[in-house]
Amino acid sequence: MQSSTIRTAPSHFARALQCTSPGLIRCPRPCIVAKWLQSRNLTTATPAAQEAIPLRKHLKDEAKRKKADAKRDGNTASTKSGADPRLEKWELTVGIEIHAELNTACKLVSSAPAEVLETDNGGMANSRVAMFDAALPGTQPQFQVATLLPALRAAIAFGCEVQRKSGWDRKHYFHWDQPNGYQITQYYQPFAKDGCLVLDASDGVPALDMQGADRLRIGIKQIQMEQDTAKTTNVGSSTYHVDLNRAGVPLIEIITLPQIHSPQTAAAVVRKIQAVLKSVDSCVIGMELGGLRADVNVSVRERGTSGVGSSYSGVSGLGQRTEIKNLSSFKAVEDAIIAERDRQITVLEAGGVIEGETRGWTLGATETTRLRGKEGEVDYRYMPDADLPPLVIGQDLVKHLTSTLPTLPDQLQQDLQDEYNLSLKDAKTLIDLDNGDRLDFFLRTVHSVTAELSISSQAQIGKMVGNWVLHELGGLLTTHQRSWDDVRITADELRDILVCLHQKRITTRVAKQLLADLFQREPAPAARPCVEQLIETGNLRLRPLSEEEYRDLARRIMDESPEMVKAVREKGQKGKVMWFVGQMVRQGEEGTVEPEQARATIERLMGG
Amino acid sequence: MQLHHLLRLSALPPPKDAAEEAQMLSTLASQLHFVKEIQKVDTEGVEPLRSLRDETAQGEKEAELGMVALRGALEREEIRGTHHRRTRRKRGGRDGDGGEKWDPLGTAGRKMGRYFVVEGEKQG
Repeated sequence: MQSSTIRTAPSHFARALQCTSPGLIRCPRPCIVAKWLQSRNLTTATPAAQEAIPLRKHLKDEAKRKKADAKRDGNTASTKSGADPRLEKWELTVGIEIHAELNTACKLVSSAPAEVLETDNGGMANSRVAMFDAALPGTQPQFQVATLLPALRAAIAFGCEVQRKSGWDRKHYFHWDQPNGYQITQYYQPFAKDGCLVLDASDGVPALDMQGADRLRIGIKQIQMEQDTAKTTNVGSSTYHVDLNRAGVPLIEIITLPQIHSPQTAAAVVRKIQAVLKSVDSCVIGMELGGLRADVNVSVRERGTSGVGSSYSGVSGLGQRTEIKNLSSFKAVEDAIIAERDRQITVLEAGGVIEGETRGWTLGATETTRLRGKEGEVDYRYMPDADLPPLVIGQDLVKHLTSTLPTLPDQLQQDLQDEYNLSLKDAKTLIDLDNGDRLDFFLRTVHSVTAELSISSQAQIGKMVGNWVLHELGGLLTTHQRSWDDVRITADELRDILVCLHQKRITTRVAKQLLADLFQREPAPAARPCVEQLIETGNLRLRPLSEEEYRDLARRIMDESPEMVKAVREKGQKGKVMWFVGQMVRQGEEGTVEPEQARATIERLMGG
Repeated sequence: MQLHHLLRLSALPPPKDAAEEAQMLSTLASQLHFVKEIQKVDTEGVEPLRSLRDETAQGEKEAELGMVALRGALEREEIRGTHHRRTRRKRGGRDGDGGEKWDPLGTAGRKMGRYFVVEGEKQG
């Protein structure tokens, strides 16, 4: 048989094809791929192997971060900085305003493109500027209706009431990043009001905030559409370069009620909002890329009092608030709130008064810096825009979008745990990966496997399929440094492998080898052998050994390595039993030795 | 008299004779009458005018953005996935911005390459 030089088949397959008589005991295989396969042949061990690290990486980082937080909170509890006893006296209140770029083709009120096009000059500065964006005299705005879709979806996803009629207002201030001298926003009549966001402990809300309930509801006051400003870069000491490409790009501003009482909850709120917006295709650029920015309003009050009597949108009895603008990462949100809270408590305990000012935060700082005080407050002279007609939204459109909204992450998480028996960690990972494509693949595979095996409940095999889609495929993708677009394995092929495995026609080790083989082959329309063919040609069918054969093989290996035998018998190192199992699997013929059986045999022979 | 006082304040010439004075007074009286009548109108609950638009029910129906108005935008979306169906906007497919081909930097006083240059406050 001509071994193809193009594709890199694992060497044991090539040998299998050349093998004339079955039953030949193979000597240990030297090739790298085989060694890798061997390292994963112990099926009774824990599922997550080294190759799966990147998949779990963010969860591990989360866990590390939580540990660090716990340590930090633990440290403050030991009154090193004295924050915890202060926190018993002072209560924090935070309200968040999020600005997120909408996923649209055009800008809000001009026909210039909002995104970089494939055409040559799409990426150049000042190449996507309409005359209105540059504020040429005599130009008029015109509302681009397509921008309504992602905005409405965001409002529906947060359970807001969509207002039939809403208005456009001008917020006046002078800055070079706003050529018109005003920003078009919806100050008096936003298009969506009174929504809510639901969080639970798995989103990162500390237990103290949950107060015994299993869900935390944060009210959303309103969502409004507005324009973005141009981009400014500082070159030299006082010179700036202005790029108007971003001027006029549609944003939504989501304003929460001041019902958040800890920095971790605030970061969790921002994370959750970003996740929900991404899942409904409203805002797909994340905070790291500048597509989402948060401003926070922070105030403290003595527990049990009503602060200085401030109130905001129905939430009363608050202290004087300060605003921290332009936070651009989740960690920045948390750190800035902690710094500002501590600063405010220090001022109030010293007998001072908090001024309502605007402050800024830089990465790595320990305290917020003052940007603008009360005397620098800008009078925005809000007024209705005379050029734009009021926005009238049809109920039929809202109904249609509500019915075609994709399932939100919370519901997906619950379904995956209930119907498919996945763990919380696995469910969360699956939802986040590859923009939902991996989840779609998982669901397709589960359904086809269930249909093939005629099982009634999907919970039985849900966990197994989940392991294969997340860990096995994930491991292969990482090892070969490919992305999900290039996974090449179809849901049907995975179904075939898992069906054979479930029916005990192949061992787990063989199943993994088949997966790796198919993973390497060229995708369709190149010829891909089906799983059955591979099993046939590779002689991989499980040919269960009899009790006698197991014992013979086990005895032979035990004779070869008496030191290991001693270790288990006399020193009681039970773990070494698995080494024997490994040896048996390796020395046995492909597809014959089942690890569970082998282990039972070894343990019996060891006499314990 | 009050009329002469007003005419002095407005730097207008005084009336030449009694007839012109009588005419001025009567014009003034009718103007003031007009203003008083306007002030009698009850504007309770009436929103200030923002611009001249068709505010009839028919006009509002025509301005409504529903499935019909959004049809084009909805067609430019696709559904991704078979079991976990998500609507995604299709990227690309636009050639510039509908005919507005102009040079934004053409009117710039100061520019550097493709950027507008402005002087601001010193950093740091």
